[in-house]
Amino acid sequence: MSNFHTKGLAVLVLLTLVAMMGVGCRGTAVPATVTSGPVAKPASLTIAGVAGNEAKGIKAIIPEYEKKTGIKINFVEFPYSTLFEKIVTTMQAKQETFDLIMADDIWLPKFESEGWLTALDEKFNYQKDPDIFPVMYDAATWPPPSGPIIPGEENKPRHLYGITILGNVQFFAFRGDLVPKPETWEDVIANAKKVADPNKPLYGFALRAAAGEPSGMEFFPLMYGWGGRLFDDNWNVTVNTPEVIEALKVRQQLAELSPPGVANYDAAERAREMASGRAAQIITWPAEAADFMENPEVSQVVGKVTYSAPPKGPKGSFPFLGNWMLAIPVTSKNQEWAFDFLTWATSAEVQKTYALAGGIPMRKSVFTDPELAKKFPYFPAVAEAYEVPPIVLPRTPEYIPLITIWGNHLNAMVAGIETIEEGVAKAQEEMTAHLREAGYYK
Amino acid sequence: MYVRRRGDSLLRVVLLAPPLLFLLSMVVYPLLFGIRMSLTDYKTGQWNNFHNFVRATQDSLFSDAVKAIAIYVTVVIVIEFLLGLVLALVIYHNIKSGWLKALFYFLFLIPLVTPPVAAGVLFRLMYTPSYGIINYLLQMTGLIQKEILWLSQPAPAMFAVISVDVWQWTPFVFFVLFAGLQAVPKDTLEAAAVDGASGFQRFRLIELPYLRPLMLLVLILRLADTFQVFDHVMVLTQGGPGTVTQFLSVYIYKVGFKFLNLNYAAAASIMVIAVVILIFMALNRLLRIAEGGEANEA
Repeated sequence: MSNFHTKGLAVLVLLTLVAMMGVGCRGTAVPATVTSGPVAKPASLTIAGVAGNEAKGIKAIIPEYEKKTGIKINFVEFPYSTLFEKIVTTMQAKQETFDLIMADDIWLPKFESEGWLTALDEKFNYQKDPDIFPVMYDAATWPPPSGPIIPGEENKPRHLYGITILGNVQFFAFRGDLVPKPETWEDVIANAKKVADPNKPLYGFALRAAAGEPSGMEFFPLMYGWGGRLFDDNWNVTVNTPEVIEALKVRQQLAELSPPGVANYDAAERAREMASGRAAQIITWPAEAADFMENPEVSQVVGKVTYSAPPKGPKGSFPFLGNWMLAIPVTSKNQEWAFDFLTWATSAEVQKTYALAGGIPMRKSVFTDPELAKKFPYFPAVAEAYEVPPIVLPRTPEYIPLITIWGNHLNAMVAGIETIEEGVAKAQEEMTAHLREAGYYK
Repeated sequence: MYVRRRGDSLLRVVLLAPPLLFLLSMVVYPLLFGIRMSLTDYKTGQWNNFHNFVRATQDSLFSDAVKAIAIYVTVVIVIEFLLGLVLALVIYHNIKSGWLKALFYFLFLIPLVTPPVAAGVLFRLMYTPSYGIINYLLQMTGLIQKEILWLSQPAPAMFAVISVDVWQWTPFVFFVLFAGLQAVPKDTLEAAAVDGASGFQRFRLIELPYLRPLMLLVLILRLADTFQVFDHVMVLTQGGPGTVTQFLSVYIYKVGFKFLNLNYAAAASIMVIAVVILIFMALNRLLRIAEGGEANEA
């Protein structure tokens, strides 16, 4: 009898295991289809958003939409580092949790190539608005309208998958009371040398050089300025080139003119240096100007900072784009209302309220609105950077691994662990290996 | 005499089932699932001839991570173990006052109950150049002239992440060994002292045999824990500068959740599990041999 029960237990164990393996291995191939016909108003819409000041504007306008439509908006916040993982796991599991997602534009290639987002032009006949910078549409179009296209995606019909909600672009901040406007990177270095005073202390520049993406992003304006690129049109990695090495030498000079320890500086540390009056020039983003330099609670330099598009290298000025988009997952059951919210939130009228509440807007007319420019002195520089126009980050789901590898070597160069030549050689090898693994080379 | 009855075996099944199901669902199933993932391609999900494992052997970032964790585990375990042991012995033998002992318990408990992320934030502030207290104190006392860039230079960054672990987990070693010392019969120690045994002899011949099983336990627990180090490293350095503090767990996390190659991350994790199991077996064997030698001497 006892033997019987032991066997029984063994069978139970086996069955449980088999059942569990079955659950894990089950295929999830059928995508959710979009329903058409009369659309009932949902009780609520759920938005996955980023926690922090990037969400300030959208959170400020939500009550107005709720009052207008009677639809409750659940704005679920995740820290930047976990939002991407959360969206990916939700989409992979085909969950209907989110009606709208707030996504960093570098995440879109992953979402778009996986077929996770609703094409706004196809489903809702969305028409482009001339008051919205064309680059904002380019960044949310798949396959991308310019640059290399990832293997297997070349023949897909081109559609628009998101609308910018937060117009985020790199620009330049300098202490207008101390230095003249730098037109070129040479001017930046000359300015930095002129004002540097270790006794105050005042540093001529503050480089964001923390490992990974921070270093990678910060280096783009210089790299492109000298004609360097991450890859050519066939995805061959091109970081070990004379152009990139030349730009890295300039970067190294900027690192030396920066406060000690910048190898561990992310955006907040670099902006804090500017706001506390210890740095004279930085590459910056709108949120840093809003939260640090122009925030009287933390800044000692309110009214002293001037903003412009990034300085020019031999090949020109290259601000980079890092927009936050609103997109509608194909799994959402309330797509029509999600689209209604999206178009409402990005309309000119609402964008002004959004900006006044401290959000970073996205419309040309809002950035150049004289009333707003008075309150937010960096808005015209943001518009100026958008007119350059800014560069859209490489359209590949492999961007994050690649920029992490690249950024680690950029960081190692500033930390003195690798020379420029060693760093670019290793990065070239590792990035190529990564793309080979991902099937980019036949 | 105990008589077996029919209901016994049924009862056994009923009692065993919940923990067994828990183990199966929380340990065995994820492990099997991980092994299955490690053997397939991250894009196609097809069997790929151990490609993920082969790749790990050729991946310089993986070998950097292995080197980094080897340094970290070795230094951390040695410091925590010796420091914890010395503290336990010193406090056990020298502090007689009850309230003073209680004060020590309390102070040692603080790091243990601090969440690692909070510890990371705390130390990040302390190590920051320009306003961190560590540089300030070192400069004030004249020990350094120029600021040390704790988190952005290779050796200081490694030191910084190690220091957080040592601060947080030495008290654990202390508590376990201190508890072990309570079990040593006082009269044996006193008799040895009367016979003229030195302090070190008393420790080696009387206290050590009592502590040995606990030492093994502490080593195994700390080893398992330090291999997984993650939280405070992400807060302090995120693996930088370069890849100096990019430990295996940090690298595997990046591969899995940033690079979205969960299959390669699974293969790397399986390799880590294999190595850790081997280390445990070796450790266990070493301590058994040591124990056997001691028994023979006796």
